[in-house]
Amino acid sequence: MNRPALILWIGLPAIVTIALLLVSYQVKGLESELAELERAALTQQEKIHVLNAEWSFLNRPERLARLAKRYLNLAPVAPKQLITFSYEPLTKDLVAQGFAVQNIVMQYLAPHSLITDGLKQ
Amino acid sequence: MSDLSVRSWRKASDDMSVDTGDQRLSARQAGQPLETARTRLFVAGAIFALCFAILGGRLVQLSLLSSGQSQQRVAEQQGGALNLERADIVDRNGTLLATNLPSHSLYVNPSQVLDANEAADKIIGVLPGLSRAEIFHKASAKGQFAWIKRDLTPEQHYAVNRLGLPGFEFKREERRVYPHGALFVHTLGFSGVDNKGLAGLEAALDDDLKQLAATPGGKMVTALDSRVQHIVHAELSAAMTEFKAKGAAGIVIDVNSGEVLALTSLPDFSPYAPGSAKTNQRFNRATLGVYELGSTFKTFTTAMALEYGVVDMNDRYDATKPLKVARHTIHDDHPQNRWLDVSEIMIHSSNIGAARMARDVGAERQKKFLDRLGMLSPLPFELAENGRPITPRHWREINTMTIGFGHGIAVTPLHLISGFATLVNGGIKTTPTLLRINTGYTDQTGGERVIARETSNSMRTLMRLVVEQGTGKKAEAEGYLVGGKTGTAEKAAVGGYKKNALITTFVGAFPMDAPRYAVLVMLDEPHGNKATHGYAGAGWNAAPVLGRIVSQIAPMLGVMPLLPASDEDDSQDNTQLLVRADGEGRHFASY
Repeated sequence: MNRPALILWIGLPAIVTIALLLVSYQVKGLESELAELERAALTQQEKIHVLNAEWSFLNRPERLARLAKRYLNLAPVAPKQLITFSYEPLTKDLVAQGFAVQNIVMQYLAPHSLITDGLKQ
Repeated sequence: MSDLSVRSWRKASDDMSVDTGDQRLSARQAGQPLETARTRLFVAGAIFALCFAILGGRLVQLSLLSSGQSQQRVAEQQGGALNLERADIVDRNGTLLATNLPSHSLYVNPSQVLDANEAADKIIGVLPGLSRAEIFHKASAKGQFAWIKRDLTPEQHYAVNRLGLPGFEFKREERRVYPHGALFVHTLGFSGVDNKGLAGLEAALDDDLKQLAATPGGKMVTALDSRVQHIVHAELSAAMTEFKAKGAAGIVIDVNSGEVLALTSLPDFSPYAPGSAKTNQRFNRATLGVYELGSTFKTFTTAMALEYGVVDMNDRYDATKPLKVARHTIHDDHPQNRWLDVSEIMIHSSNIGAARMARDVGAERQKKFLDRLGMLSPLPFELAENGRPITPRHWREINTMTIGFGHGIAVTPLHLISGFATLVNGGIKTTPTLLRINTGYTDQTGGERVIARETSNSMRTLMRLVVEQGTGKKAEAEGYLVGGKTGTAEKAAVGGYKKNALITTFVGAFPMDAPRYAVLVMLDEPHGNKATHGYAGAGWNAAPVLGRIVSQIAPMLGVMPLLPASDEDDSQDNTQLLVRADGEGRHFASY
């Protein structure tokens, strides 16, 4: 019998079998890894779900209003505090004086240093 | 290759014949073993081929099948990562209003309990709220299963687990949680331990919530706004205390889409303990209670008279003295004792004028008009609690006249505000909905036209006048052009009306030049106090509450305030309104 052919026909199945075995083990390993990750993801999702509920609980408007009243020196926005850029009495004079738009905003907000500080950054 | 094999086979067969010895091969017989060899060769080849085929098949099967399984699992994973029984409910800004959280429930399997007496003592030690006798009874009874306590807190779960009692086990369940507590109890309702909706939206859309839970990321987006709801709730609570009222209701609705941003009924109750709530607390005054809402109905009478061309804005009615019809006499609460034009009838809330106007329109047309506004049948609202209006069985002239100023017909506050929104939004019928439009859960399309645009513009002007000059002055919210109508009605009692039991209502919208939101405030049996000089009318209690609500919610909802124009600005053609009633030229805030 032809020796190379024999080696080929015995070797090929052997290689395939071993390869299959290795791949099969690898797949099993990966599957258990996947299952573990899935479990972890589920746990995390559950935690996020609970945290969402907690976040909503802590952001109750009633609680925020109470805390704001206690710790912040803020009041509801008064109509006078809202203007548009088309509000002529404001813009006419300032544009005439050569202010850029941002400067107009700064000028108007100057008394409220907290806000202008924020804008400058 | 076959040549090689044949030769080797022939050699082998020669050897075999030599070994057996009793048959000598002849050249003639040499063909037979060759045939045999060929057959054997074929069989062996076939067996090998089969083996390879099996191996190959198995290879394919392994790779395909296992990958199929994992793919399927991944898909499941992405689909319902957390398989909850009910979908979350969120408000229009995505704030969570109701959600299902995993919880643990304790049950006992009596057949595995070693010592029921000891077990009962230990359980009572960590769950003091339970009855010892009951636990002992359950733990010593026959059978396999009995609940001890549903929905344990994590601490209780841990404590019971630490006892390590055989036979006491946990079942993983889900519990409905309302992070905002009682704030939304009359809109969302609540659901029971078995995750079944028992009241409100939870009951009305029970199936939808369960179906939504099965879809990835499924949640129900409502039209509600928790900030607006909080402001309405807080202001109504304050008003209830201030005026010693029995109850209150408040609604905020988008006049164009019909979306309900806030809906409150007070007193309310905890959604976790509906069983211990009193009937008064459980009752939804905003959608289930039907009331004769009094003068607020004059808006419908006026709109109907204008729409049918029965009157125009300059027509005048005799209000010099009380009006006698059959056995009844109709008085004015704020008597002017003179002829009043249409706007004065609204401003001074004249019953006589409204009754005469309604009589001129006639019963048939009045009934048809109110029906088109949806005032005569229950609303298709997404709550389990929807009240049916009470209307006269025989719609006689006297009924027409009393309905003209809001008596003899009882509707829910939600009916009133929906009808009112229709009058001021340009005349398109407003159907209230709790669900956010354009999210796929509601198929609300453009409504039908009920009144002409011109009539709607006239109504806006009239409503604004009521707040500028009339009974609703205290509803003013600086800059937001509130317009509306007061209504003070005595509560119906057996055989007549109760003098000192009032329902006061203010229904309004803002900004009146181009209305975007309508607000309703209703107080149930408010009382006068020092600040109101003893008066208990709507202008003294409901109106100021509405003004306070509007001045707080308007900036949140992106309504740009309009302050009185400066002297040099003479482009305004309607000096009474400051701005034009058709909303032309208004600037909207863009946030």
